[in-house]
Amino acid sequence: MMLEVRGLAAGYAGGDVVHAVDFHVEAGEAVMIIGSNGAGKTTLFRSVIGLLTPSAGTVEFEGNDITGMAAHRVVRLGISFVPAERHLFPRMTVEENLALGAYPGRPDAETTSVVMDLFPRLAERRRQPAATMSGGEQQMLAMGRALMARPRLLVLDEPTTGLAPKLAAEAYQALGLLKEGGLTVLVAEQQVPLAMALSDRGYVLENGAIRKEGTSAELASDPDVRHAYLGVL
Amino acid sequence: MTAAIFDGIVIGLRFGLLAAGLTLVYGLGGVLLLAYGQVTVISAVVIIFAMDAGIPALPAVGLALVAGGFMGLVLDLTILRPVYRRHGEARVLLSLLLTLGVAFIVDGFLNWRYPLLGLTLRIGGGPIEIIGVRMPRGSVVASAIAIVAMVGLLSFFRWTTLGRAARSVIEDQEGARLVGIDPHRMLRLILVLSGVLAALVAATQAMVRLIDVRSGFELTVFALIVTVVGGLGSVTGALLAGIILGIIYAIALTYIGTSLSLIILLAAAAITIVIRPAGLLGVRE
Repeated sequence: MMLEVRGLAAGYAGGDVVHAVDFHVEAGEAVMIIGSNGAGKTTLFRSVIGLLTPSAGTVEFEGNDITGMAAHRVVRLGISFVPAERHLFPRMTVEENLALGAYPGRPDAETTSVVMDLFPRLAERRRQPAATMSGGEQQMLAMGRALMARPRLLVLDEPTTGLAPKLAAEAYQALGLLKEGGLTVLVAEQQVPLAMALSDRGYVLENGAIRKEGTSAELASDPDVRHAYLGVL
Repeated sequence: MTAAIFDGIVIGLRFGLLAAGLTLVYGLGGVLLLAYGQVTVISAVVIIFAMDAGIPALPAVGLALVAGGFMGLVLDLTILRPVYRRHGEARVLLSLLLTLGVAFIVDGFLNWRYPLLGLTLRIGGGPIEIIGVRMPRGSVVASAIAIVAMVGLLSFFRWTTLGRAARSVIEDQEGARLVGIDPHRMLRLILVLSGVLAALVAATQAMVRLIDVRSGFELTVFALIVTVVGGLGSVTGALLAGIILGIIYAIALTYIGTSLSLIILLAAAAITIVIRPAGLLGVRE
């Protein structure tokens, strides 16, 4: 088991946003967590990767308990997180952003060329400050930076935020290639059709709790899911 | 005019060096270190005591650099701990109040125990001529040290993994955590570094003019002005602002006189901030 989350509850000063959430990710899988705005996807992910301390429950990564571990230590264990807001280093160049992804080491040539092959646009703009790039390019850079740490699990929070449909599809195309290469992927998404095409399994998060789970095919044929997330009446 | 501009650059380099430590600590950690000038003064006192004990000037300065770094570490481990538990404006305000308290205590103690201590480092030999302008040797040596220090500092932040990591915390703290950087450890490193810089200011300042136990607040105020004009968190900005303000100050000194030049300096700073609230090289939030 790559990631196992049990009974996780987390939130902010005003109270918990997610309650008693259970889910897991097997090695080599792509798993999606779908839900509308405010369902608690971001809070859930932040508490899994250590940007937020859970108020209850456990998180295990490859059999090790990482509940409440600080984010900077979690990433060194092999989980990279791409937040919806990207959190790039705006005045630093594409190259510097990528190099920092490999912190505390130096970027190795092999990983760099894998990232550049996946996102050729980054190679073209390597000396450009991150802030001057378009939304789509920034998303590629955020994903590239996350990959520089050579993670075994890549966690993405709504990678299509603010992207035009074509660029959103490109981002998922890249994720598809990474999955074929053996990377385990966990993604939260509102644009369900894209996530569904990528994922083996999925969970539906509503009001901070898991409402449904199943393979992508099962979820795609579920009338409630079709109605709420796939736009089918 | 050339002489005034040279003087300005000499003053400006000192301003820039003075502001570098302060701007880094603020940019990285949202901590306003108002005891910064006092770290410089204590470093000067260390040099005085070391030289009184028969230690030659150069190792005495080395000792002061170690002491400066140690003071940065002590601040990080003690008085700044409650500051780190707060965020945003509350953090800035608490750091301001607590370090101001430290500054008062240090000043009070030094004025009570050693009211007459003062440091000047005399650099032997006559003035040096640079493209027709005769400069006191002390100024030239102090400027050379400041240039080497600034180049070293900028190279560290630009080319080394550790320096880039420190910059990334200024750029986006959450992004830094996501790539595996511990912002608190980075801030500790920067506090030690800024303590060393404060000590270096003590040495270079003393080559040009007297530093006594009452110099602390003046140094902090100058560092603050340069920091704000340069843009919080930008070493390049601090250097640029330092040199621009230094030249304005020196020209005012030469052509208008001592009494008005400080007012002109402050007015130039105020105008810059009105036109560019984020400072010359700062980022708008």
